[in-house]
Amino acid sequence: MAINTNGPLGPKKVAGKAIPRPSRNLAVQSYVPEIAKGLGITMKHFFVNTKESALGQRNDPVLESIDDGINCISYPEQRRPYPARFRGLHRLTHRPDGSPRCVACLCCSTACPAQCIHIEAGEYPEGDPRRGYERYPKRFVIDELRCVFCGFCVEACPCDAIRMDSGMHAAPYDSRDQFIFERERLLSFSGRDGTFETDNPRKEPGEPGHPGVDRQKHH
Amino acid sequence: MPSFKLDGQDIPFESGETIIAAARRAGVDIPHYCWHPGLSVAANCRMCLVEILPPAGRKAMMLDVLEWDAEKQDYVPAKKPKLVPSCQQAAGEGMEVASASSEHVTRARSAVQELLLLNHPVDCPICDQAGECRLQDYWLEHQGTKKRMHDEIVHKPKGVVFGPTIVYDAERCIVCTRCVRFCEEVIQDPVLEKRERGNLSEIALAPGRELDHGYTLMTEHVCPVGALTARDFRFKARVWFLRSAPSVCMGCATGCNAYLDFDPRDNTVYRHRPRENMAVNQYWMCDEGMLDYRRVHDGRVLSARVRGKKSTVGDAVEKAAAVLLGVDPERLGVVLSAQHSNEDNFALLRLGRDYLGTGHIYVSGRAEGLGDKVLKHADKNPNAAGVTALCTSTPPKSFGELAKDIHDGRITHVLALGSYSSDATKTDALTKLQGLVTLATREGPVAKHATVVLPVSSWAECDGTFVNAKGMAQESEKAITPRGDSLPGWKLVAALAKQLGLPMAWTKLAQVRSAMAPEAGATVAQATGAEA
Repeated sequence: MAINTNGPLGPKKVAGKAIPRPSRNLAVQSYVPEIAKGLGITMKHFFVNTKESALGQRNDPVLESIDDGINCISYPEQRRPYPARFRGLHRLTHRPDGSPRCVACLCCSTACPAQCIHIEAGEYPEGDPRRGYERYPKRFVIDELRCVFCGFCVEACPCDAIRMDSGMHAAPYDSRDQFIFERERLLSFSGRDGTFETDNPRKEPGEPGHPGVDRQKHH
Repeated sequence: MPSFKLDGQDIPFESGETIIAAARRAGVDIPHYCWHPGLSVAANCRMCLVEILPPAGRKAMMLDVLEWDAEKQDYVPAKKPKLVPSCQQAAGEGMEVASASSEHVTRARSAVQELLLLNHPVDCPICDQAGECRLQDYWLEHQGTKKRMHDEIVHKPKGVVFGPTIVYDAERCIVCTRCVRFCEEVIQDPVLEKRERGNLSEIALAPGRELDHGYTLMTEHVCPVGALTARDFRFKARVWFLRSAPSVCMGCATGCNAYLDFDPRDNTVYRHRPRENMAVNQYWMCDEGMLDYRRVHDGRVLSARVRGKKSTVGDAVEKAAAVLLGVDPERLGVVLSAQHSNEDNFALLRLGRDYLGTGHIYVSGRAEGLGDKVLKHADKNPNAAGVTALCTSTPPKSFGELAKDIHDGRITHVLALGSYSSDATKTDALTKLQGLVTLATREGPVAKHATVVLPVSSWAECDGTFVNAKGMAQESEKAITPRGDSLPGWKLVAALAKQLGLPMAWTKLAQVRSAMAPEAGATVAQATGAEA
């Protein structure tokens, strides 16, 4: 680019209004009036909140829509309600006898895009009425850190054995291995309605409604 | 060669061959359960029904049937051609066969599928066959409808232990009798039998017997559904996670062609199953061989050791070179291994004989076992013939002779491949050595007494060539990545040679193979055929 040699040298003149610098008098430099002003705003909110809470005039921020503006809630004492189909931490559902409903078919770990489910299958011993009809998870481990909470495992389960309706999200633990949930821990969570059991449409030996395994008893 | 037409495609056949066998040879799969190319024809599953069109100018043989009419909500009289099982019908010159193109065949197959699934428990989630089950595959291909029976199914025994290796589930069984025919015809031990009739039929053991001949796992392999399951594989893995590598069985000198099924996610081999090769093992494998995959994991040497202490491979190679450096070639013995591939043996032979200059070549391996008339060979090493072929001029001496030479003080240092001693009573001699370097895959007597142990990959972890008792060189492909610190044997030999300052700069398997080709004296036999 060619240099313009016709005009004056040096910085260009800018048109504008000069703003006076703030005065650095004693009141400003001591900060006291500004602190008092700020505390005044805080105290105004304190008295308004206290009055409204005491008189019950205040909206419940948990139930209130956030369209009106942002409401503060006192988490974790107050919590926003999760939607009905919120996918929280996994739980393993129970049979009536308290054992896991899971038959260790590995459909959930097959469907899992994050590969966070590890299952080891076990077999009932000879003589057990459930032998041949079922197997069970010797180990059932979910890495909740790796999980992306997509819910595919729940969709894939043919036995309604894994659900994400515990209504809980993973708490911020202080080490990674605390996010590795073992079988017993997953069994200890209930659904949001407090129940543990689910019903399997396929009746199994020992359950009411099962026709019996004797070949003479069919029909 | 005469030919017939299947759905318009010309299929050549040999005289007396059945339609299904000729079609399979031509690469056309007619759906079937009970037919197996290696077994007699039972024609009981009716899945392979085909329509044979009448010769020109003749009328087809039609049967009067009643057909459900959905509009009238009643059965109406109709006609359908007489279908024939293609597994039993011999092909004829100029015959016109309709399989997938015939509407009658399509409907018949759908009906057969519905019948076979009528009393099936549909417990796919807990069934090991799920993922490789013909009932599942054919339901998708040929049925795709719900069953119309609403009654409770016939319940039969489940989880019945047939023997040390096999568990039987009668509810899943379609009574195709493949397992029965296999025991009777191939093994000639009629231990299985069919009992009862119709929907009550099931497979039973002969009285007072259990399924315990040497080929029991093959009954599981021929079972097209989940009725017979192997106790070894039961509930260990889902087949859709597994990948297969074509491999060769290491169990004996027969060298059965096999697939190694492994899970690439955890780098674990889960099972061994036969791969068809009519020149070697046909369709079969023995239990010993099918369970031999365990040697990939059990008792492995996974890190280098120097005088019993764990070490890095680099350090151990340095120490091994220090042990071998300056040894009188007349006092150095090189032990090849009939358990290792041609490539590994050739690399060691090249180093020991051609560069270190020793004439004392020995061979070790597993001790002799029992053979039989079906497949098992008494020589339990996969590559004894290969090692002998490599040592062209002088055949290798036995492990017993090595022990004798050590006793007599003729050998003071040994460079060995493998860890097996062919004779367990003669391993004491190894303690008298001044230096013993072994390239071992598994723990064993040689590794136990070695000054330096270098970890070698097993056959599942690298490509290799093995020569069976018939003199056929067969390639086994890599399945999993090398476990632990292990490396292919020829790589370790090359590293050792480099440390000794010798010009053996092999970095690729192809280089080893091209150097070896004229010596091995055997060509690689190709596997034939597809899945049964």
